[in-house]
Amino acid sequence: MISLTSDVRTPFHTLPAGPKLLGLCLFTFAVFFLESIGGALAVTGLVGLSYLAGGVRFAFQGLRLMRPVFWVALIILAYHLAVGETAPGLVVALRLVAAVGLANLVTMTTRLDDMLAVVERLLTRVGMPQRTRHRIALAIALVIRFTPVLAEKGGALNEAWRARSVKRPGWRLVLPFALLAIDDADRVAEALKARGGEI
Amino acid sequence: MERNLTMIALFAALIAALGLIPKFTLASGVPISAQSLGIMLCGTVLGAKRGALAVLLFLGLVALGLPLLAGGRGGLGVFGGVTVGYLIGFPVAAFVTGLLAQVWRDRGGWILPAVAALVGGVVVLNILGIVGMAVKLDKTLAEATLLATPFIPGDILKCVLAGLITQGLQKARPGLLQA
Amino acid sequence: MFSGLDIALAEHRVGVIGRNGSGKTQMARLIAGLAAPDAGDVTVAGVEVAKDRKAALSTVGILFQNPDHQIIFPTVGEELTFGLTSQRYDKAEARDRAVEILARFNRSDWYDRPVHGLSQGQRHLVCLMAVLVMAPKLIILDEPYAGLDLATTLRLRRYLDALDPALIHITHDLTAIENYDRVIWLDWGEVRRDGKPGEVLPAYEQEMREKGGRDDFADL
Repeated sequence: MISLTSDVRTPFHTLPAGPKLLGLCLFTFAVFFLESIGGALAVTGLVGLSYLAGGVRFAFQGLRLMRPVFWVALIILAYHLAVGETAPGLVVALRLVAAVGLANLVTMTTRLDDMLAVVERLLTRVGMPQRTRHRIALAIALVIRFTPVLAEKGGALNEAWRARSVKRPGWRLVLPFALLAIDDADRVAEALKARGGEI
Repeated sequence: MERNLTMIALFAALIAALGLIPKFTLASGVPISAQSLGIMLCGTVLGAKRGALAVLLFLGLVALGLPLLAGGRGGLGVFGGVTVGYLIGFPVAAFVTGLLAQVWRDRGGWILPAVAALVGGVVVLNILGIVGMAVKLDKTLAEATLLATPFIPGDILKCVLAGLITQGLQKARPGLLQA
Repeated sequence: MFSGLDIALAEHRVGVIGRNGSGKTQMARLIAGLAAPDAGDVTVAGVEVAKDRKAALSTVGILFQNPDHQIIFPTVGEELTFGLTSQRYDKAEARDRAVEILARFNRSDWYDRPVHGLSQGQRHLVCLMAVLVMAPKLIILDEPYAGLDLATTLRLRRYLDALDPALIHITHDLTAIENYDRVIWLDWGEVRRDGKPGEVLPAYEQEMREKGGRDDFADL
């Protein structure tokens, strides 16, 4: 399944995942305390520049990922303008853009495998037993494997509906859809049992 | 044990797959995102513990960078947005829904699962979502509640659907909820 | 996938063969109007199936491979009446027609039966009835027997052969289409051969045997 990691090689890609995530947490926490427009602008500008450091194509990918946030920020600004509180509105909007912007940057420059490795290390550090970690890894693999499969089957149900009705598919499709997931769960459980090994 | 694992994983995949279906509309024209329906079903079908784990698994993968939220959204950025309260609320909602659903599971029918979905998926979820919005937008709880209100009628309808679907699932696979 | 395809199918029984991925299912979807062509048009009995969905529903029906990916409703009755309520029939008329088709297949007691209790072959039959009840002029069958045992396959084949509407039958089972009026061999979006079963089927089979006899997995 395609992840949101960018295919453009940026200097950020080479940074290890753990420190990146830690930095993100601290940044998001600190951003919360920004009160001045100047500060918010500066921080947001820094995040924007970081995107440019990855190149123009990378920056455009980042913009696309940020689109929903920009809309929300616009609505926030519009509302605050209407009630005459432009300055606080600007700060709120900028804080949002900065926080989400850096978070997306980390997502775009960190491979899924590296993220998983960090999670594994963290879980080991907090003392989670190996068996549980193994189960989590297996569960993750199953979700990645089966989401496209279920989506395709859902598409087939969608087609079967459209082949007989001009109305758009309604909630009625969720029932057979869920049944497909349940039946797949049964089948995969059988397959796991058949392969043996400790679960 | 294997079945618990696969049910959790497959329901997480189901929530993701439901995000890929375009929003369906009810007869009244209200658009409903199928994904939040999936969260409720995790509770009503899997119960509290498994349901919450399925949703956590789903969110975990979203955080790791997979575009599983409706509209192809994902990554750490979504947790920094204004809906972060709702995201955190998802597993809690599934858990609460699951608790009630488990208590009532022997009664059958659609109303009780629907009520379970209401308490978890509407009440609890919106409380957390509203708190999140209030924090993110620097507003009071009252103002944030106003923002959330337009979506409540649709959410209530979703609970009814969740109840009906759960009832349908139980009929189609007897013993499902007891497993 | 298809470029410059220009064919007219007027025969009562048409078979479509080809390797997986050669475009058979895509062609089925185009004829059923589920997919719209990027250029040109697809008409069935004068109806532009992708554009005029309402008319298309009464003209073309399609039967997919796997009943579990097709049956939407929990009971047979609901599944049969579904398409009808989307056509011009009201609930009572839809019910009547569903009951009628069940009687035609000697399954009158199936109306309220839950689908999950039915065997695979029985579910295939439900899918067939759900398409037939809408009285289409043309039915497309996309590998309708996959995975069924021999007895069930033969029985379903008898039902299909006796049907009034024209059939476009996509299949890997060459014996099912030996007596058809026309067979089309699709190969990567192109019509490789098109003619009587007596000409097309042996040529197809020979090439498939050759391919099967080789060891390279390159085109598997």
